Amino acid sequence: MRRVLRQDLFWALYLLCLGAAFGLMQHWQMVRLSHRGELRSHLEKARQERREVRFQGVKTVTLDQAHDFWQQGQTLFLDARELDEYQEQHVTGALHFPPKLLDQPGAAVLEGVPKERRILVYCGQENCDVALKVAKKLQDQGFTNVYAFLGGFRAWDEAGHPTATGR
Amino acid sequence: MPGTKPATPPLPGVSWSLFGLLGVLLGGLFFYAGLVKHLAPYEFVEAVLAYQLAPERWAGAVAAVLPWVEITPAFFLVMGYFLEMLGRLALLCGLGSGRALLGGIKRRSCLLLMLGQTLFFLVVLLITWARGLKIDCGCGLFSNRQVGLVPVLEDLLILALIGAVYWWEVRTARQTATD
Repeated sequence: MRRVLRQDLFWALYLLCLGAAFGLMQHWQMVRLSHRGELRSHLEKARQERREVRFQGVKTVTLDQAHDFWQQGQTLFLDARELDEYQEQHVTGALHFPPKLLDQPGAAVLEGVPKERRILVYCGQENCDVALKVAKKLQDQGFTNVYAFLGGFRAWDEAGHPTATGR
Repeated sequence: MPGTKPATPPLPGVSWSLFGLLGVLLGGLFFYAGLVKHLAPYEFVEAVLAYQLAPERWAGAVAAVLPWVEITPAFFLVMGYFLEMLGRLALLCGLGSGRALLGGIKRRSCLLLMLGQTLFFLVVLLITWARGLKIDCGCGLFSNRQVGLVPVLEDLLILALIGAVYWWEVRTARQTATD
């Protein structure tokens, strides 16, 4: 039994090396970028390019602009994260609005909201696309004044802006 | 005839069909998960970075290697079962050469590697869950899932299934050797 296991482990190690060699050969450029410390800047560039194509026409705001909107009090803040994240902490006054609500026509959250009302959508952090996705869909549904806050809840929280917990 | 070797290994057909099918399914699952990651390498490297476990200098290598370490054993495992099926069919048709295809392509080693990987993913998931990071698990299967109970249970189930198929393979090999 021990001999069988040793043999199996030897061939498993061989397969591991084979897979690793294939992977390194296939993605050598990414490995080099990472090793040189240029990966994050490359990812940021790629993300921007992808967003420009996928979410063309969606307006975005910076942290300061988002805070200004919040202080003016006229903007409807929508939190597009998971329910447990929203309940743990969210921008004060924000409503929970996960992307799945978009598939339900006439979602209760947006019932009676005028199409020209300023809406700001945010998700977890800089690299999540959910806020953009929700903002784009809302625009497609006829809302004319929709913004995506790309910094997300993390930037808001780190800046020490007001947050609330629970529903 | 008493005392002579049977024409086919004395394995119950139902058991072979069940575990063989399970092996093919597991192989297919790993192959698909690896392929999804391989086809979107920069999205996968973002998922690796989000775990905050690998230093940035090595994240690229991890993201390059992991999908292929899933694809390689999965491919050989599925191939192994197909060859086994061909061999059994050939034996059923009375072709003795089919015996050469039985038990081939180191299926147990493929399963061990998949078992090791699943254990590794499970540990990473548990560490991340314990740290309270709310990130996508980057598991590469059918939908995006956040690190938490669901992916942990999925991995536990996969671990149990791989363990069962490995145990069956060892038992079958031992039985064949005895005969």
